[in-house]
Amino acid sequence: MSVFDKFLAGWSFRGSTPDYAAGDVLEVMVTGEENGGHVARIGDSTLRIEDAPADAINTRIIVDVESWDDSAHTGRATYRKTVGESAF
Amino acid sequence: MTETRDAAPPAADGGDPPDGSEFGVGEQNSDDPRIEFRGGKWASTVPLAFFIGWAIFQSGVLGIGDTNGLVVGALIGTTLGMFLVRGDWKRYADTIFEGMTQRVAATAIVAWLWAGMFAQTLQVGGFVEGLIFAADALNVGAATFPAAAFVLCGLLATGIGTGYGATVAFVTLFFPAGVLIGANPVLLFAAILSGAVFGDNLAPVSDTTIVSAVTQDADIGGVVASRFKYAIGAAVPAFAAYLIAGSVMSGVELEGAVALRESANALGLVHLLSMGIVIVTAVAGRHIVEAISWGLLVAIAFNLLFGLSSASDIVAFTVTEAGSLSGLPVVEVGETAGVGGSLYSGAVGFFPLIVLTLLIVAMAQIMIRGGGFEAIQTFLLDRVATTVRRAELTMVLGTATINGMITINTAAEIAIAPYVARIGEKFNINGYRRANILDANTSALGYIFPWAGGVLVGYQVMVGPDGLGAEYGPEMVVNPIEVVPYVFHGWFLVAIFVLAAITGFGREYIPDRVSEEVSRA
Repeated sequence: MSVFDKFLAGWSFRGSTPDYAAGDVLEVMVTGEENGGHVARIGDSTLRIEDAPADAINTRIIVDVESWDDSAHTGRATYRKTVGESAF
Repeated sequence: MTETRDAAPPAADGGDPPDGSEFGVGEQNSDDPRIEFRGGKWASTVPLAFFIGWAIFQSGVLGIGDTNGLVVGALIGTTLGMFLVRGDWKRYADTIFEGMTQRVAATAIVAWLWAGMFAQTLQVGGFVEGLIFAADALNVGAATFPAAAFVLCGLLATGIGTGYGATVAFVTLFFPAGVLIGANPVLLFAAILSGAVFGDNLAPVSDTTIVSAVTQDADIGGVVASRFKYAIGAAVPAFAAYLIAGSVMSGVELEGAVALRESANALGLVHLLSMGIVIVTAVAGRHIVEAISWGLLVAIAFNLLFGLSSASDIVAFTVTEAGSLSGLPVVEVGETAGVGGSLYSGAVGFFPLIVLTLLIVAMAQIMIRGGGFEAIQTFLLDRVATTVRRAELTMVLGTATINGMITINTAAEIAIAPYVARIGEKFNINGYRRANILDANTSALGYIFPWAGGVLVGYQVMVGPDGLGAEYGPEMVVNPIEVVPYVFHGWFLVAIFVLAAITGFGREYIPDRVSEEVSRA
């Protein structure tokens, strides 16, 4: 991202339920567990993650989005790799 | 939003990737022993709670803005907590060391040392005098003086990164000139404070900017760029408000006007370039130490080249007796031996804040090891921050509350930073957004309330033994409570973030744009 782009980023109103699409590759923070699997809450949308490591909560991971329901703002993704952890 | 990326961005500074060990929270699931407190996990909050109480009493009730005093409060609070520990006190003592050696504190400390040297070198290089020349050249009158003071103080504060320093410099040099030509003293003092808010919030060398970035795992340059929209969004209406209020609010009757040009020096404006080099280099992704070092080198070169300061203004070794080395430009003969100059005083000026930071980080670590941090976080996530909008409002109002109580703004920011990080992460709010929320209230409220440190340092210039009141008369002393409604930029900045949390303006999620690597020390 150029210096100019850095200044222009975020000049918009972002909703509370972001939507994604199958095929997206995202970096997300794993925020919790549900029904034995991991989830990443992105705003008020929810991404269920399969095959994440057992200790994935509070780590940042790369995932492949497999499916997404725009009406429910929920999706399903597959774990690819861990790239970081919580700031605290 | 379907923009994707394949992997985390490369480190911009070659530093190690974050390992989540800051404050040790990333190690919550490790087998490290927790500290057992008499009274349960809430007792682990006693050291930090005692410190906050001390800070409120010292700065809020008594109006004493002394960072060293806060250090004593932190030391006593940390000691008190030890008496509540069950079993071996060694774990408690070890946790103090564990907290003090966290990398988040070291990163901020290194940046502060460089920022301090740079800021002081600009000061001795006549940057303020250059801004006064600009005001004189623009021929500002009584009505437009507050608006000009806001812009120029904002420029100074952005350059030197310290709102307190900018406030002292402008109240000392700019305020009396403005009052004497007919500007309203209350409005003028408030305008100076607004400029300090602007710089404290936006400058890459500001202590609060550095803390907000490193505690949210965001690069400092990217944080500065991302908060520009909020800063300018508050500054434009604030500037208009000062123009309007300046034409409505009358000044005081004083005899013997002092011309601005007495202290004006056009050459001081060359430091706009020194300041610009730091901002551009930092935003371009260079390590903050490298960015400031380039700015510092240029500032020193300008000072010496244009005669803005002597070599001994930058580094001075004072000896008591003349010798073979006393002919050197950096060696002086004086009554007391010592070292001085802008590099020395700039770095040393941050020592009290560095010690305080280490102690606050240690107290936070005690809370984490004792379970108090997790208990508060769970309460907030379960009961208060249940949606992303409520989470952002919680962060905004939480930082406002803490900063309203602890008036040394950097200390307040360090205390609340872990909660902003963890609550934000639970909604995948990215580091830039979290850093901006954290810093906005810290910068704004630190210069609004009568007990705020930024207000008190300016007030001290007016009421001190050799202050403006003693020199010019009581018209030059502004009651701190009077300025509260007129610190327009501060109020607009707070309002913008409340609105941003409600409307989603500027909101970015982690998948949208991942922060570059933090400029680690």
